[in-house]
Amino acid sequence: MNLTTFLLALFDGVSYAALVFIVALGLTLIFGVMRILNVAHGSLYAIGAYATVSLVGWVLALGAAPILAFPLMIVSAILVGVLIGGPVEYLLLRRIYDKPEVLQLLVTFAVFMILEDVQRLVWGTQPYFEAQALRALGNVTVFGVTYTVYQLILLPLVALTLLVGLRFFLRRTVTGKLITATTEDREAAQSIGIDADRVFLLTFVMGAILAGLGGALASPTTSILPGMGADMIVLSFAVVATAGLGQIEGAAIAALMIGMGRSFAIYIWPEVAVLVPYLIMVLVLLVRPEGLFGSPAARKI
Amino acid sequence: MMLSFKDVSASIGIIPILRGLDVEIPQSQTVAMIGRNGAGKTTFLRTIMGFTRTTGEIRFDGKRIDTLHPPKRPGLGIGYAPEDRRLFSAFTVEENILLPAQAAGLDQAETQKRLDRAYEILPELREMAGRPGGQVSGGQGKMVALARALMLGRKLVLLDEPFQGLAPALAQRYSEALRALRDSDRSVTLIITESNPALLRGFADRTLVIERGEIAEGAPQTEGESA
Ligand SMILES: Nc1ncnc2c1ncn2[C@@H]1O[C@H](COP(=O)(O)OP(=O)(O)O)[C@@H](O)[C@H]1O
Ligand SMILES: [Mg+2]
Repeated sequence: MNLTTFLLALFDGVSYAALVFIVALGLTLIFGVMRILNVAHGSLYAIGAYATVSLVGWVLALGAAPILAFPLMIVSAILVGVLIGGPVEYLLLRRIYDKPEVLQLLVTFAVFMILEDVQRLVWGTQPYFEAQALRALGNVTVFGVTYTVYQLILLPLVALTLLVGLRFFLRRTVTGKLITATTEDREAAQSIGIDADRVFLLTFVMGAILAGLGGALASPTTSILPGMGADMIVLSFAVVATAGLGQIEGAAIAALMIGMGRSFAIYIWPEVAVLVPYLIMVLVLLVRPEGLFGSPAARKI
Repeated sequence: MMLSFKDVSASIGIIPILRGLDVEIPQSQTVAMIGRNGAGKTTFLRTIMGFTRTTGEIRFDGKRIDTLHPPKRPGLGIGYAPEDRRLFSAFTVEENILLPAQAAGLDQAETQKRLDRAYEILPELREMAGRPGGQVSGGQGKMVALARALMLGRKLVLLDEPFQGLAPALAQRYSEALRALRDSDRSVTLIITESNPALLRGFADRTLVIERGEIAEGAPQTEGESA
């Protein structure tokens, strides 16, 4: 492996890890606070991507500047979180928090299946591609390797901002503190006047927005087609499980491990590349079943 | 009546725990609820806070609260310090105390006023204000839980076995704090549960005895009885 391929693998890994991390962050937030493993998270990712492509395609066709794609990504993510995440929590999940975990998993899986069909109904099965946002930011050359600014700088920057921002939000803002307290002890939180129902709705919508944002940010870098949600839920679950469920900072490190593992494998041993994330997860879980940073006892976020 | 129960039964899951309670507690009364382990003391307080399945009618300040969403109840002026203190370990002692005021959306000035009052009643908490909630001893934790309950508990304060497990010196301090609380606001109503009646002797205006989920009036206590 020469310097050029090394750098390419490194950059691929970083940009890929950033995307996976953003989606995994939402998944681990929802799990950490609500103890629900949301399989439908993958669909929210996919719908975030579809919505962005449609919205950006439509607005740019009206003659708007490509840079407008960025606010539209955020709009798409928020629409997905509020219009899909909100009702899913309010109408469905709210009824099953005290039910067995298997049932919860089945319900979120059912939501996933329904949303997969909704995507096919709305967007069909042909792939979409809309990369104007990617091109708008241009390229950067590092040691002779040219890479897009979007993937090498913007995506990691967004991921890092979300990581720091979410941590600050949970520990320092009033709303975040109410979420953190509810995570630790739901009854104790309610007995000092914290509305746990509202906390759960807000958390789920926030997590769903992160899934949608992951999809929105991924959309210029890949073809949007059926099945992308399933791939992403499995991958981000691998990240979350490797880190330890509910571990926000851990998810960043796990995403880097898995992203790097996958991208280096593509250059070194391409046949196994798709397996690498799961190999890493299995290896970690064999040694530490609670994940790299998880602890079996405390409920924390 | 500050707090009244009319034919109240409560169950946890499908298990009935409290049966047909009829109790009236007037304002500014200090009530000791005595009963051995498993008698239903904790369930009684949790029923007031809304954490059991309840039938019958509970009124607070004239308003029905048994049908009120549990997190809305503290805002009516009810503070609750649970048996096992249950501080939030992600936050410091002071952040723990402040949380109820933040959940209720009180403004800065009112929050500060209430915090100052809690510190006046429990001055030792000032020194540990910055300590993580998970790193205080059991006894100190009970004091923090009391301070936290006082933030919203302007009318009714519920304390679940506050003296249990306290070293004698701390127990002494805790009852001094309770006296300071009553002196600072004569109108506040207190319900304190205990399995050991000796710990509350001379402190309560009235004793209720709870046994297998049923409540009976206990022998009246007077200040003179205290040793
Ligand atoms: N979560 C629960 N599930 C089932 N039974 C419970 C639960 N909590 C308490 N109980 C039962 O309710 C009764 C009263 O308990 P509790 O109110 O905790 O009593 P006390 O506080 O007086 O010790 C006991 O018989 C106890 O076993
Ligand atoms: Mg008890």
